Amino acid sequence: MGSDEAYNFVFKVVLIGESGVGKSNLLSRFTKNEFNHDSRTTIGVEFSTRTIHLKGLIIKAQIWDTAGLERYRAITSAYYRGAVGALLVYDITKHLTYESVERWLKELYDHADPHIVVMVVGNKTDLGSERSVPTEEAKDFAEKNGLLFLETSALESTNVETAFQNVLGEIHRKVSSKEVTRGSISAVSLASHIPRAAGDPEEKKSCCRNL
Amino acid sequence: MAKIEPGNGLTSAVSRNILRGTTESLALTDGEGNSFGSDSELNAYTSERQTDKYGFIGGAQQYSEQSAENIPPEVLRQREAKWLDMLNNWDKWMAKRHKKMKLRCQKGIPPSLRGRAWLYLSGGKVKREQHKGKFEELDSQAGDPKWVDVIERDLHRQFPFHEMFVAREGHGQQDLYRVLKAYTLHRPEEGYCQAQAPIAAVLLMHMPAEDAFWGLVQICEKYLPGYYSAGLEAIQLDGEILFALLKRVSPLAHRHLKKHNMDPILYMTEWFMCAFSRTLPWASVLRVWDMFFCEGVKIIFRVGLVLLKCMLGSQDKLKTCQGQYETMELLKTIDTRYMQEGFLVREILELPVSERDIEKEHLASVRRWKETRGELHCKALPRMHGAKAIMAAEPPSRQDLRQNPTIIVELPLATKSNGEDKERKKTKEEKNGKKNSSPTPVVADLEPSKPPPPLKDTALLGSNQSLSSTEHDTYL
Repeated sequence: MGSDEAYNFVFKVVLIGESGVGKSNLLSRFTKNEFNHDSRTTIGVEFSTRTIHLKGLIIKAQIWDTAGLERYRAITSAYYRGAVGALLVYDITKHLTYESVERWLKELYDHADPHIVVMVVGNKTDLGSERSVPTEEAKDFAEKNGLLFLETSALESTNVETAFQNVLGEIHRKVSSKEVTRGSISAVSLASHIPRAAGDPEEKKSCCRNL
Repeated sequence: MAKIEPGNGLTSAVSRNILRGTTESLALTDGEGNSFGSDSELNAYTSERQTDKYGFIGGAQQYSEQSAENIPPEVLRQREAKWLDMLNNWDKWMAKRHKKMKLRCQKGIPPSLRGRAWLYLSGGKVKREQHKGKFEELDSQAGDPKWVDVIERDLHRQFPFHEMFVAREGHGQQDLYRVLKAYTLHRPEEGYCQAQAPIAAVLLMHMPAEDAFWGLVQICEKYLPGYYSAGLEAIQLDGEILFALLKRVSPLAHRHLKKHNMDPILYMTEWFMCAFSRTLPWASVLRVWDMFFCEGVKIIFRVGLVLLKCMLGSQDKLKTCQGQYETMELLKTIDTRYMQEGFLVREILELPVSERDIEKEHLASVRRWKETRGELHCKALPRMHGAKAIMAAEPPSRQDLRQNPTIIVELPLATKSNGEDKERKKTKEEKNGKKNSSPTPVVADLEPSKPPPPLKDTALLGSNQSLSSTEHDTYL
């Protein structure tokens, strides 16, 4: 899992959305490049990490996954704590799961950091023939609400990398710009030692602090 | 298990597909909706890998020759005889010899009788007798589409590496559907909670659907009330209780979790809601459940406490745990030696945590909840701490406890009329009663038709029926 690896940032990203939309497979696809038709129902919390290189930095993405069923929302406040990014996933073949997106957004803003970076993700594009949510409709909704948007297929691996990379990139942008005042994103912990990126002859950057 | 033979109604193309194998199962039916062969053979996925004695494929659920305890067959036979005696005199044993019964549960129920014992311990047997026809009624109904939809999505996601559940739309998944759907009809205000699926699946590995249904009812209403209800308040309260009890059991672990602000929900949710069926090696799951059905939720608490103590209870271990995330990772990858059957059971039995301790912490947790979060929405009924409490709350009649196995054989295998069978039933030596409706006796009875030897006699019965001690578990 790379706990011995050096990294500049740790970003906690949560996967949310209705049961069965593919959150767990998005997680396994991104962090382990695995997909399983019969992955177990998520009960409690699952998580995995992956370290990526972004703009010369090493970012450790801590991706959290939990049960999507409505009644599990009662126990998710611990889950949201410290999250700086969220992928709000729906299933493009099940319109009901898209209709829940607004409710999930509300849930998110009730529990998570107000500056959290959100991407709406329409998953299962491999089932295009069964599509029931038009891309444009979802894209418009996301834009109107200031949210990122992508359609993915965890099964075929389409756009999964991009989705996570975009979210992580946007988080970094927010964190490093002055958009986010100190202390409001509490769990972005910055490693106290900074590794040199491979082939980078430059001096070490100045020390980081928790924002 | 039935073998699929060519010319058994299958076209050669289809049988070739079976042999080639796919991870999607083939829904093979004879046009009447009956499927051929065993589920795992339909999905040739399993023919390429070893299935262990519990039905798990490819080493899933952490089976290993070394870690599971091996009971010699003679001992198993003795235990089976003892259990059969208990099952036949259940009310007496519960009333007068409960301590002995508890001890036997702690030693592990013989596999061949596990399903039956669980049904008796949980009070599911009594419920079934008192509500004859109820399951059938629920089974025949359509079910609320909202729940049906979610349940269907979960059927292939429970123990997918167990031969019973590996085939899509196989018998195992079908029965799982029936049990879960029936529950949502039985308790429409409760509906379906995803953690009920693994619970039902474990039950189904040991008993038929109707029994599993009543077992599930008892777990949801007596052993773990409120666990699966909206709001999930009960599980949150138990998380607080677990944390509070940890202080005494392992102050070091307690301090660590407190320091890193670890909400118990982050680590105990799957443990408790699934009664450790998704965490422990299978041999250990079965031992824990044997004790859980007898003694109630304190066993679940003790397992949690043992695991927390083992993983976080020393400075050494805590060195590697710098933060919340690392701690969670550690608790997700529990060292196998701490989960090994022998070790775990010993630790559970030695841990001085009682029902009273739990109830005391429960009151404290409820008080804290009301102070910080307001009133509890779910007024769950008080939980029953085990088989004896359940029985005491609703004493059954003798009739309710009478055994009536669905499969009976007579020895010698000469045909007998129903009248003679009824007479046989009346003899004191007869272990099992006979169900009225079965017209053709089929499979082996457990005991030969002569008086059972006294328990002290350790000679093996000269039986030519296997009691399946080392074979695949069956439900009887």
